[in-house]
Amino acid sequence: MKTFAPLLHSYWYLFRGAEMTLLMAGASVLPATALGAVLALVHVFGRRTARSALQIYLFIVRGIPLLVLLTFVYYLLPLTGIDLPPFWGVVMVMSLYYAAFMSEVFRAGIESLPQAQWDAARSLGMTRHLMLRIVIFPQALRLAAPPFVSLCVSLVKATSLVSIVGLWELTMASREVVERTLAPFQIFIGAALIYFCICYTLALYGRYLERRSLVGH
Amino acid sequence: MDGTLSDAPSLVTSAPLTGAPAIDAPSAGARPMLAMTGIVKSFGTNHVLRGVSLSVAAGEVVVVIGPSGSGKTTLLRCVNLLEDYQEGTVTVDGAPIGYRIDPRSGQRLRMSERDIAASRETIGIVFQSYNLFPHMTALQNIVAAPVRVKGVPLAKADARARELLSLVGLSDKAQEYPVRLSGGQQQRVAIARALAMDPKLMMFDEVTSALDPELVGEVLAAMQQLARDGMTMVVVTHEMSFARDVADRIVFMEGGVIVEEGKPDQMFFAPRTERVRQFLKRYNDRYRI
Repeated sequence: MKTFAPLLHSYWYLFRGAEMTLLMAGASVLPATALGAVLALVHVFGRRTARSALQIYLFIVRGIPLLVLLTFVYYLLPLTGIDLPPFWGVVMVMSLYYAAFMSEVFRAGIESLPQAQWDAARSLGMTRHLMLRIVIFPQALRLAAPPFVSLCVSLVKATSLVSIVGLWELTMASREVVERTLAPFQIFIGAALIYFCICYTLALYGRYLERRSLVGH
Repeated sequence: MDGTLSDAPSLVTSAPLTGAPAIDAPSAGARPMLAMTGIVKSFGTNHVLRGVSLSVAAGEVVVVIGPSGSGKTTLLRCVNLLEDYQEGTVTVDGAPIGYRIDPRSGQRLRMSERDIAASRETIGIVFQSYNLFPHMTALQNIVAAPVRVKGVPLAKADARARELLSLVGLSDKAQEYPVRLSGGQQQRVAIARALAMDPKLMMFDEVTSALDPELVGEVLAAMQQLARDGMTMVVVTHEMSFARDVADRIVFMEGGVIVEEGKPDQMFFAPRTERVRQFLKRYNDRYRI
């Protein structure tokens, strides 16, 4: 057990890093989800011009690694004179980035519903607003829930990239500890365990949602 | 076997007819509940409906038969604008549906989506694939539209839904999700769901085609009961026995037009066109009628 002494001495520090990771992930998930939902609606119901603009956005986001975007914005923001704390800058980039993927998940949820469901709702005299609210969205959200959760897992892991622009979180904290203790294996095993616990919990929740979404289908 | 007792529970809330249903006087001077004139519908160069006119009297049961691809289903879907059409007009109980003819220019004007939604309330349709909402129980499926669309108080809608469920023989299934119901049960819930809106007209689109043969009977029985209660019905089906026994009038469609229409006896025993005779031959041979 002696070999793990460095980890035992510094686990509290790592936990504080994990707290920061969760905070950042949490702050990004909400706007990413909201924006993703709006983009999905534009994709399914929007006018042609809006849809084309959205396509371009999706292509750009999907074609650029998050790390490159983070670095780019990190250097770009000061030039534009926008004075944004690094934390919020990162949250902004992550939100915009993940919104693109979220919108695809939600769109797939809506579009995978059979035409027959729309027909049935319309034939009962429902207006579009009502049928979306009580027929389409509840089903689409169930279908979208499992892939949504796996996106969240991916988002949590992606926060490890922000140490590159100098933000302090779990990965950065681990590197600091490694520099002091010169025990990279022990410390990163600890960090990996923490990441795993967060992500595995999310994944289990996703599996639960998946099983639940099968009810009624 | 004929008319229900006046105090017997009915699938139809407001009895639309006084006295006997219009069994022997379809469209003969009676006010048409449904009137379609000159419906033309095409997908690109594929002409699905080529000027179909059909009038259905209140309380009349019209069965539409014909080979696959003859436009029967599309015709039904044009009535409540699940499909758009290029020419023609539809009225239900005298009110135009979907399009209005501008009195000055004579042009067809499409109504607003809101108006179209409102007119769909009066037209019930039951689909081949049931199309129940899978995330709602049988009861929720039935009360959703009356409560959310028509603003019926929940308690009242609930009571009516339970009544309808018991009339289609499914009282014990109110709290079940569709996935736990057989095809025949789902289809009967779908019929109850459509009836819960108190439609003036009920349309059935091959409602037994997706069912196991032994489940067909229970759905047809519910439809037969509905017909006896005086509901105006347009039924697209391949169930020739049903057509013969329940229809007031049979319409034969092929190639997007009505080829022949007439009373069941005439259609089955003395069709005017060779095509209808041929189409019904197999059925008549099998059952030796």
